[in-house]
Amino acid sequence: MNRRYITRRVLYGIPLILGVTFVSFLLMVYFGPDKTYELLGKNPTTEQISEVRRALGYDRAFLLRYGDYLRELVTLDLGLSDSSGEPVSVILKRTLPVSIALVLPGFILGNLMGLALGLLAAWYRGKWLDKLVMSASVVGMSVSFLVIIIGLQILLCTPYGLNLFPVRGWQVHDLGSYLYYVTVPTLALVLVTLGYNTRFYRAVMVEEIERDHIRTAQAYGASPRELLFRHVLKNSLIPVLTRIMFSVPFVVISGSLLLESYFGIPGIGLVTFNAITSGDQPILKAVVGLTGVLFVLALTVNDMLYSLVDPRVAKP
Amino acid sequence: MSTPALAVHDLSVRFKTGADSRHAVDGISFSIDAGEATALVGESGCGKTITALAILGLLPDSGVHVESSAIEINGRDISGLTGSRRREVLGRDIAMIFQNPGTALDPVFTLGRQISAVYARHCGGGKEHIRQKVIESLEAVGFSQPQDIAAAYPHQLSGGMRQLAMIAMATVCKPAVIIADEPTTSLDNSTRAVILQQLERLRTLHQTAILLVSHDLATVRQSCQKVMVMYCGRLLEKTDCESLFSHARHPYSAGLLSCIPQISDTRPAMINSIPGQVPAAGEFPPGCHFAPRCPRVESMCNQSVPALDTDKQQAVACFRPL
Amino acid sequence: MTGTTWQRLKSDPLGVGGLCVVVLFALVALCVWSGLLGQGWSEVSGERWENASSDHWFGTNLLGQDILQRTLFGTATAFEVGLIVTACSTILGTLMGALAGWYSHSWLDELVLWLKGVLDSIPFYLFAAAVAFALQGNPWAMHLAMIVTFWTTTARIIRGEVMRIKEREFIEAARAIGLPGLVTVFRHVLPNTFHILLVQGSIVFVAAINTEVILSFLGLGIQDGVSWGLMLAESSQEVLAGHFGNFAAAGGSLFLLLMGFNLLADALQDALDTRRAIR
Ligand SMILES: Nc1ncnc2c1ncn2[C@@H]1O[C@H](COP(=O)(O)OP(=O)(O)OP(=O)(O)O)[C@@H](O)[C@H]1O
Ligand code: SF4
Ligand SMILES: [Mg+2]
Repeated sequence: MNRRYITRRVLYGIPLILGVTFVSFLLMVYFGPDKTYELLGKNPTTEQISEVRRALGYDRAFLLRYGDYLRELVTLDLGLSDSSGEPVSVILKRTLPVSIALVLPGFILGNLMGLALGLLAAWYRGKWLDKLVMSASVVGMSVSFLVIIIGLQILLCTPYGLNLFPVRGWQVHDLGSYLYYVTVPTLALVLVTLGYNTRFYRAVMVEEIERDHIRTAQAYGASPRELLFRHVLKNSLIPVLTRIMFSVPFVVISGSLLLESYFGIPGIGLVTFNAITSGDQPILKAVVGLTGVLFVLALTVNDMLYSLVDPRVAKP
Repeated sequence: MSTPALAVHDLSVRFKTGADSRHAVDGISFSIDAGEATALVGESGCGKTITALAILGLLPDSGVHVESSAIEINGRDISGLTGSRRREVLGRDIAMIFQNPGTALDPVFTLGRQISAVYARHCGGGKEHIRQKVIESLEAVGFSQPQDIAAAYPHQLSGGMRQLAMIAMATVCKPAVIIADEPTTSLDNSTRAVILQQLERLRTLHQTAILLVSHDLATVRQSCQKVMVMYCGRLLEKTDCESLFSHARHPYSAGLLSCIPQISDTRPAMINSIPGQVPAAGEFPPGCHFAPRCPRVESMCNQSVPALDTDKQQAVACFRPL
Repeated sequence: MTGTTWQRLKSDPLGVGGLCVVVLFALVALCVWSGLLGQGWSEVSGERWENASSDHWFGTNLLGQDILQRTLFGTATAFEVGLIVTACSTILGTLMGALAGWYSHSWLDELVLWLKGVLDSIPFYLFAAAVAFALQGNPWAMHLAMIVTFWTTTARIIRGEVMRIKEREFIEAARAIGLPGLVTVFRHVLPNTFHILLVQGSIVFVAAINTEVILSFLGLGIQDGVSWGLMLAESSQEVLAGHFGNFAAAGGSLFLLLMGFNLLADALQDALDTRRAIR
């Protein structure tokens, strides 16, 4: 790998990280709710007020406060939750694994199936199979995540349907119970992402299949399997990897937010949902800031992966 | 007479667009002997690339209709082959060199990988043997450091070097026939000479039959023995190079020749550049397709299509040849 | 839109179907706005959870309100959200994209790209929550959050198109006459991107309606009135007890409208041949 390339990528990430943290700082700390009076008794004196404001850091200069926020994010010393009094970092450490366990199978399946269907549709582009797959994906894209969740719940978790799985909860202690609780959320995640994924992957694959070098390989007797799995897939690795890297934070956060608040699963999504409804600022600002930073880091790593995959990037 | 290396009988290609279908290639026949280079020349859009792709069976299977009574390589008909039976032939008995070396090679594999994949597929053998063959074929096209080239990715080489590597890939299994579709069009003059020289050398060395598709008559004169002039999907003149350049019989061939300055000096200038444009496929006139642009047109030309008088040594499809 | 585009659109049955569905819903929204339909959405007109009947086509909800009336009113809400968000984010995205594209590779371009990068890095629902947090109960927080995040895609597309069109001759000509840069952008470049905006607009519309549902469920969405999202949130409690009225009415309408828009956007994309730009 090329060192200059890596340095450039990392440098490029810094303004983005500053921007992301600055936006979260502005929205949630600077313009966020003023907690002075929540912490004071009735009829506070001026001294009491200014004391609390000093304790909360409200009297410090704008940039210093932003600096404080950055320091909190870097040291992971994120303060105490307003509602439970527990340290935010402890809460996050406890809930993140649950969320990952919840969304990972759906995320992987959704991408694999999308990739497979996209490849299939691209190979048979213009034929009936392509049309079938593409029509189905438009239907899939038109169903709201919430409708999918409620619909699956009726079908699989209630006596009005098959009644096979739990309505809500997360009592996971072994593989059996994991599958018991994870199946319906996984299906929901797959259904909601499959349409978009299939369309995206099909477009990528069609572009790759129509490249000149595919025809060359064909002219030298490469079988369809070689064409697809050697030439097309390896060339499309960059857009595919990018999409996967890009969507990780979104699926983990957005997916778990809805799934966990709906199914009552104690992951980071439920914590965030509760923080939204109760206005728990320390949790919210930590979650928003950290996901932003993680996302930018993922982007940077992704750019570096390019150079492993694509010789054109590695050796300019 | 010995069997020709490549014999094409009555090849037609039709594109289906909506309800109607149009001929891009219309009943052409020709043959090339081993060790012989034949040129296919004609203006852009006349169907040269389509002809080449049709011979290899590389046209898409929907929207296109390919027909022929036979396409024979060393006497074996390959026109009916499909699936793995056809793939066996491609690259082993017949190989193609493409016009644009910049995009024709896979950017994410080294040249060595791409060439050895072809050899392994068709000729097999151990790893070391395959590697040896790849190095040999790279050496044969004139690379002095074949190992380095084998380890390189296409983007690391110049256009001319990529095209040489492409030729190495085409010759690694020593096919009987090589189709080169404008192999030098995208290259500069000196590189062009190198490429043509290497093709020429390999042709005499392995007795390969070469079909060279080209716009460039100077190139053709230099490196081919026979030449076929194509217009609107049909062959208008088919002869050996010398006869064509000394005396073109078809008015269209004469027009093409007059476009090359040094040749038009030696003969009475008839058309300096051919006026008018190539009609799009499907908008061909009913009689001789060249009639709208032909200086020798007469009433008969618009009524029926002149056939190629293949019994003659210098065959032409014209009612009033020069 | 030119005549041939219209011809092509008309010859695409799926596109025509999508257009009909969208127009139908738009008419319902118009009727609601002009007071002809859905006015009884907050009236208690029956018992709680009545089954479907000729009085209440989809039954009633927990409070005894007629679900049909609420669905009709929700159509207007969906269009209100969709139109406001689409219009504002398209204008914003066009302006930003045009500026960035015209002054490409300048500090202005870098700034717009940086802003886009920053906004794209924050998961959307979290951003909406943060905006709601900062605005503390403002009913426009949801609209604002969507506008501020949705403009980036439009800007990216317009930037690319402006950079492409900039090279063309008639722009050169306009420059030669001495028209100042920005005037040239608005007089000559932007009209050439109208078709792309049309397609991208319908994609944003879909995203806005879809997002409203999720945000309303999370309690970050519509605050006055009723929306399909609120109805679905309501139904999440009811379906366990076997009351499917809210779910069927809101979920079904949502699906139909989104499907209509998706089909229309696809057909438009084909008819206007904008696939290259949008991707
Ligand atoms: N997919 C297609 N559908 C319809 N017509 C096609 C299609 N592909 C090619 N054609 C037509 O077939 C004709 C022959 O094309 P071809 O590529 O063989 O020309 P060519 O002689 O190789 O030209 P050039 O010198 O530019 O490479 C063209 O007139 C073209 O319009
Ligand atoms: S047949 Fe007639 S029109 Fe055609 S080339 Fe000969 S003279 Fe010209
Ligand atoms: Mg060609």
